[in-house]
Amino acid sequence: MKCTRCGEPAEIALRAHNASFCRPCFLFWFERRTLKQIENEAMFVPGQKLLVAVSGGKDSLALWELLSRAGHDTLGFHLELGIDGYSRQSLDRCQAFAEARGLRFEVRSLATANMAVPEMASATHRPPCAACGKAKRYYFDQAALEFRCEVLVTGHNLDDEAARLLGNVLRWREEQLFRQSPVLESRHPKFVRKVKPFFLASEYEIAAYAFMRKIDYQVQECPNAAGATQLTYKRMLDDLEHESPGSKSAFVGDFLRRGRANFAEPASRSDGGTCTNCGMPAFHELCSFCSLRREVERKRTDRNPGREKN
Amino acid sequence: MHALLHRLQLLPSTVLVIRGDALLTEDAVLEPDDEIEIRSVISGG
Repeated sequence: MKCTRCGEPAEIALRAHNASFCRPCFLFWFERRTLKQIENEAMFVPGQKLLVAVSGGKDSLALWELLSRAGHDTLGFHLELGIDGYSRQSLDRCQAFAEARGLRFEVRSLATANMAVPEMASATHRPPCAACGKAKRYYFDQAALEFRCEVLVTGHNLDDEAARLLGNVLRWREEQLFRQSPVLESRHPKFVRKVKPFFLASEYEIAAYAFMRKIDYQVQECPNAAGATQLTYKRMLDDLEHESPGSKSAFVGDFLRRGRANFAEPASRSDGGTCTNCGMPAFHELCSFCSLRREVERKRTDRNPGREKN
Repeated sequence: MHALLHRLQLLPSTVLVIRGDALLTEDAVLEPDDEIEIRSVISGG
C-alpha cells in the first residue's frame, strides 16, 4: 500500500477518507485538518489561554501535544478520580507527558476531597460514570475560572460524538441534541467556552497519531467503563462504519450542518444563581456537585455515626 | 494481517497493529517470528 500524498510505503490506511499515508504525511494531514477544524468552527485563536482537560488517555494527550506543537498557550488540567490502580497510572502518564515537554500542568484530587468516584457511586447507588461526569464538569469549570483560562478544551472524538448522538436520537433527548456541538458558548460569566477540536477525528486516527508522536498514554481502559451503554453504541457504529466507510463522520457532520438547527435552545431554568456552598453557578441553592457532595457526606454519617461525632 | 484480524474477529479500524516502531496496514504480510502488539483504540464509558 502506497501513501496517497507522496507514493512512499503507507503506514496507515483510512477507508473513510479513501486515503493511505506514510508517517510524515499522516502527521501533516492530521495536524493540518485539526487546526483547520479549530479555525472553521472559530473555537479559539492564538494567544487565548486554553485549559486542556487531560485524563492520561490517548485523546486528551494527543490533543495537548497537537495544540502545544502549534504554539497555543495551554495549561493541562487533570482530575484524579480515586479509582484504585487506574487513577495513579493516569496521573503518572499526564505528569510524565507535561514534564518531558516542559508544559504547565495542574492537578486536583477527588480522593483528597473525600469524593473518590467509587465512594460517590456507593453512597448514591448510581452508576460511577454519572458521578464521575458531574465531578469532571464541576472541576473543569472551576479550574478554568481559577487559572483564568478563556477556553476549556476536551479530547472528545468522532466516535464519542457519534455514540452520544445515537443515544440522544434513540431517546429523542431534544435538549441534549441542541447541546451537542463542537463549540458550546458560555452561558454564565463564571463559565468559559467549551470546545472539542477532535469532533471529526476517529479514535483510530487519534491512536495512530499518539503512537507516531511517541506519546506514552494510558492504554488500560477505566475499570468502570465495562458494560457502559456508550461502548455498545460504539460497537454498533464500528460495524456500520466497516460496511459503509464514512458513516460516522456523515452522521455527526450532517447532524451539525442540517439537524441540530431543528432543536431549540432550552429556556434557561434560572439565570445568575450562585451555589451557597462554593459560589459557582447554580440552578438551586446548591450547585449539582455540592448537592452530590452533601448527599455523600450524609450517607457517610449514616454509615459511621460514631466517627462523625468523634 | 487481514486474515489474522479476521480470525480474531477484530475490525481493522478498532485496533492498532504494531510491529517494532511501525504500524501495520491490513495488507502487511506477517512472518512466523514476528512479534506484534494489537492495541485497542476504543475508549470511553
